[in-house]
Amino acid sequence: MLDSVIVSGIVTIIIGVGGMFAYFWASNWVLDHVFLPAKGEHAGRNINRANQIRPWLFLFPAMFALGLYLVVPVFYSGWLSVTSGVAAGGWYRNYSEIFANDTFRIALLNNMLWVLVVPAASTFFGLIAAQLTDRLSWGNIAKSLIFMPMAISFVGASLIWSFVYHPDIEIGVVNAIRGLFGAESGVTLIDGDIVDSFLLMVVLIWIQTGFAMVILSAALRGVPEETIEAAIIDGANSFDVFFKIKVPQIMGTIVVVWTTITILVLKVYDIVAAMGNQYRNLEILPTQMMRYFDSGNYGFATAISVVIMILVLPVMVWNIRQARSETR
Amino acid sequence: MDNIAGKRTGLSLVTHLATLVLVIVWIVPTLGLLITSLRDQDAISQTGWWRALQGAPQPYVLSIPVDDQVQRDGLWVLETNVFAGPTGEALPDDILDRSRVDAFGTSRLRGPTTEPGETVETRDGVTVTVEANGDLRAAAPERMTGQLVLPMALVAPPQLTLDNYAEVLTDMNTAERQQARSMGQQLDDMLFSDEALFGPFVNTMTVAIPATVIPIVIAAFAAYALAWMDFPGRGLLIAVVVGLLVVPLQLAFVPLTIIHGWLGIGKSFLGIWLAHTGFGLPLAVYLLRNYMVGLPRDIIENAKVDGATDFQIFTKIVLPLSFPALASFAIFQFLWTWNDLLVASVFLPADTDSTVMTRFVVTNLLGSRGGEWHILAAAAFVMIAVPLLVFFAMQKYLVRGMLAGSVK
Amino acid sequence: MKKTFYAGVAVAALCAGSAQAQELVFTPGEGDFNWESFETFASEHDLSGQTLNITGPWIGDDKDLADSVIAYFEEATGAEVEYAGSDSFESEIRRAAQTGGLPNMAVIPQPGLLADLAAQGHVAPLSEETADWIRENYAAGESWVDLATSYNEQAGEEALNGFFYKVDLKSLVWYSPPVFEELGYEVPQTMEELIALSEQAVEDGFAPWCIGLGSGGATGWPATDWVEDIMLRTQSLDTYDAWVANEIPFDSPEVVNAIETFGTFARNEDFTGMTPAEVVATDFRDAPDGLFQFPPQCLMHRQASFIPTFFPEDADYDFFYFPAYEEQDLGSPVLGAGTVWAITDDNQAARAFIDFLKTPIAHEVWMAQSGFLTPHTGVNTELYANETLKGMGDILLGATAFRFDASDLMPSEIGAGAFWTGMVEYLRTGDAQAEAASIQSAWDAIK
Repeated sequence: MLDSVIVSGIVTIIIGVGGMFAYFWASNWVLDHVFLPAKGEHAGRNINRANQIRPWLFLFPAMFALGLYLVVPVFYSGWLSVTSGVAAGGWYRNYSEIFANDTFRIALLNNMLWVLVVPAASTFFGLIAAQLTDRLSWGNIAKSLIFMPMAISFVGASLIWSFVYHPDIEIGVVNAIRGLFGAESGVTLIDGDIVDSFLLMVVLIWIQTGFAMVILSAALRGVPEETIEAAIIDGANSFDVFFKIKVPQIMGTIVVVWTTITILVLKVYDIVAAMGNQYRNLEILPTQMMRYFDSGNYGFATAISVVIMILVLPVMVWNIRQARSETR
Repeated sequence: MDNIAGKRTGLSLVTHLATLVLVIVWIVPTLGLLITSLRDQDAISQTGWWRALQGAPQPYVLSIPVDDQVQRDGLWVLETNVFAGPTGEALPDDILDRSRVDAFGTSRLRGPTTEPGETVETRDGVTVTVEANGDLRAAAPERMTGQLVLPMALVAPPQLTLDNYAEVLTDMNTAERQQARSMGQQLDDMLFSDEALFGPFVNTMTVAIPATVIPIVIAAFAAYALAWMDFPGRGLLIAVVVGLLVVPLQLAFVPLTIIHGWLGIGKSFLGIWLAHTGFGLPLAVYLLRNYMVGLPRDIIENAKVDGATDFQIFTKIVLPLSFPALASFAIFQFLWTWNDLLVASVFLPADTDSTVMTRFVVTNLLGSRGGEWHILAAAAFVMIAVPLLVFFAMQKYLVRGMLAGSVK
Repeated sequence: MKKTFYAGVAVAALCAGSAQAQELVFTPGEGDFNWESFETFASEHDLSGQTLNITGPWIGDDKDLADSVIAYFEEATGAEVEYAGSDSFESEIRRAAQTGGLPNMAVIPQPGLLADLAAQGHVAPLSEETADWIRENYAAGESWVDLATSYNEQAGEEALNGFFYKVDLKSLVWYSPPVFEELGYEVPQTMEELIALSEQAVEDGFAPWCIGLGSGGATGWPATDWVEDIMLRTQSLDTYDAWVANEIPFDSPEVVNAIETFGTFARNEDFTGMTPAEVVATDFRDAPDGLFQFPPQCLMHRQASFIPTFFPEDADYDFFYFPAYEEQDLGSPVLGAGTVWAITDDNQAARAFIDFLKTPIAHEVWMAQSGFLTPHTGVNTELYANETLKGMGDILLGATAFRFDASDLMPSEIGAGAFWTGMVEYLRTGDAQAEAASIQSAWDAIK
């Protein structure tokens, strides 16, 4: 049984990859030999034309997949959010209903909190970790261990942290530490208070700090030694060097890290689904969206996804402008 | 350089300590669950994982037969050992190897509250003494009847075991596995039984590998075109790809459910491969293009002069040179598809034949075995084992890819 | 390319799903089974060469048990039956209804889903004869007919859409007899006695109730069972039905009162020995553990008939009926759930299978193995696998009315959403009126 699963997987890959290569080879061949052969009386014109068409042969599969899986859905979702289930109440009904819903407002607020806290904290810890490990003999091992959660799935990380937060004083590390300071019994850490969101954010910060650390550490290495030496000669202490000399020079990278994590935070779903699904106060937009999606309420689901899109929009515009200024 | 380092020595101890604290905070949560996954189910609920090497007292109610009582000095006396001898046969198997009595009592309502060696009286007027080694002496003025029912906390010697992993992979505990084997079940049948994690493990692999390989091929061709071919609209296309990098996946769920329905793909492996391909493409194209643009121009120009076609340049020169970028995207995409919960819950059916591990853990294990941490811990490590292997083996490429993606 | 992809997946799926042919678990003619009904059924039906495919929510052990019953149908008729189970059955049958590919029969765990499918024209109506048969042969038969009756698009009118088979009881209180004995407690016969007993336990230094609402993403559902049971014991059946249909609003005094009555148990720290937040965080599977600890952490646990699965292996337990108020004359209504069989793609074999479900043997085969209750009055209750099941079977047969789990009847946004989280929030805040109003507004939003 296992054999057949493996065989079908391998067959899939061979067909997929082989199929792609076959497509590229065959389409190029057809272009060069059948439609616009590089010989005969129009050889020169044909080569030019073929070269104008060829980029699109290379791009076609990617553009098709991107179009079908990302571009079309963006517009389709927008369309559905103003047409699906709005019979009574005008095109904006889905939006007015979700905004009238307490839980949605809590989710929106929580999402804002996540976006404010997680990127800031991850970047901050990442920066500290990058600076600390920079010149340590065992810095690479330390980095590796702090970076490791990056490989762990959000679901796995949620399990790991649920265990840390376990309400039993004999089981959960947090409660055990409270015990060291004299607490006699454990407390339920995640019990649906609005501040419990921060406990869930810790999980994502734990995962993302390594990402921030790796990138910022590379950026720190790029800071020219002369500027640091000059500052030290001027009598600056280590903190001054770090905050006044190094950090300003890598500000560009810090912003990139920050925005990258911000985008990720807006998509996060797994952590709340695994750790706080039962508490209204911990809801975020993606969990709300999935609730409506699962119960088949496509109007509300698409309306919420459009709201998420609107939240991402500023980052998107900024990213595109950055990229354009670089390619020029 | 040296003199700077010299001025820092005063701070270096602080740096070492601060780093150590940071690393400990970062590693302890994972370590705790790892140790838990190796512990006995009963021990987990009794003591914290940091006490894994000490024994954990377990409460039991022992029913001790009184047939061996003798009359002595006007009293009816029963002397026996709770671990051994004929009375031991009345105990459950797993108590027999418990080495020590931690506490005992005479009422199940009060539980084991008496220290070993002390003497207490039961409701029926029987005085009972139990020693730590299990020696029991009960005495009563009248002949005892029925059984002596005594709650006791027994300490088992600590042990680390892989049983939890076997249990979560087959959905059978040791006894059930033995029974299944005696009924002629093969390992294959057990691994693929309905509630076992092994099936989802295979399914996760079935999702992740094609969903990693397919987008690489598609993206590599597109990235080459965007990097080295001239055509109108190239700048616009690059901007679109950058924009699509941040489009929230949620927007695609409802439309794609409908579109997949039309196309007859429905919820299936094919559907999720295509979805992961679509969602992974922007990053793949972006990373690979950034890398390919940086390849030395003269190699490619020379090849063109020599009459090589674009297809040949791509397959023979650009693709091999881009290996580091391909590898780093492959790692990203593999980690992402392996760890994904959201896309799998939308594009795959939830039945045993196709559910992936993340979803299995969230819906089946958290849903139906919520309090059983021996199962959850082992499941967590089955789930993260492969990504961790990939991570530690290929860290270099991962870092390189991340730097290519964000530092300018 | 797509075709080949499919083929690969199909190979994998086929291999994973290959089931062995079932043998009959009880030899016909042996034991106190109603073999006569089996023989009669066999002689009346010959379906050799016909096939019947069924999908349902049962997987694992339950699937094996269902297969063991189906084997008798195959033996009697010669038809070939394929049962496939899924743990997300509900969404899959909905999708099959939209895109085609419905099985011949579906085993549906929610009457609401059955009504939806019937209204969309996917369910073949059952005959009036079958409805009469249920009224006569099921205890509280009218309730069972009503639950499965709604507008049927194929019939163009109200019709019986399905046949209930396999029932779960919710109105049960579990306890440990040796503990009750040592404390000198008697099993309470009325709600008044139950409350008095709870207060007595507090005086004796014990927390009378173990309550846990935790259930991963479904946290809160055990509270909905409590509220439903209390609704049935404080309000008329008509009010209960009106509540389920949202004909009276969720925040009407009757419902708020039921929620608050639940609060007098669950939010009472003397009664549960925990803070309300801990009640929410305690997993429902771990909650009954307290019954069997030494010393016991709690004395009673209200939960459905499935819960002994989660008791410790050697636990000594028993149960009693969650009693009715003596001062209110509302009979003995029973709260529960069940699975209903519907014909989603009509054929002769499916019709025969409905007839098969009327035979006592179809019930007895499962009863005698495990985890099965039936309101069928014609079965030999001595066949129940153990005393516990027999006791529950007797409660079911003695019921004056049966009401289905309300949260399963409500739209899933409410019954599997707002109602759950509303109860979790109620435990946290104690404001029943506000939470009921919030559930009602969620209901208004989807109307």
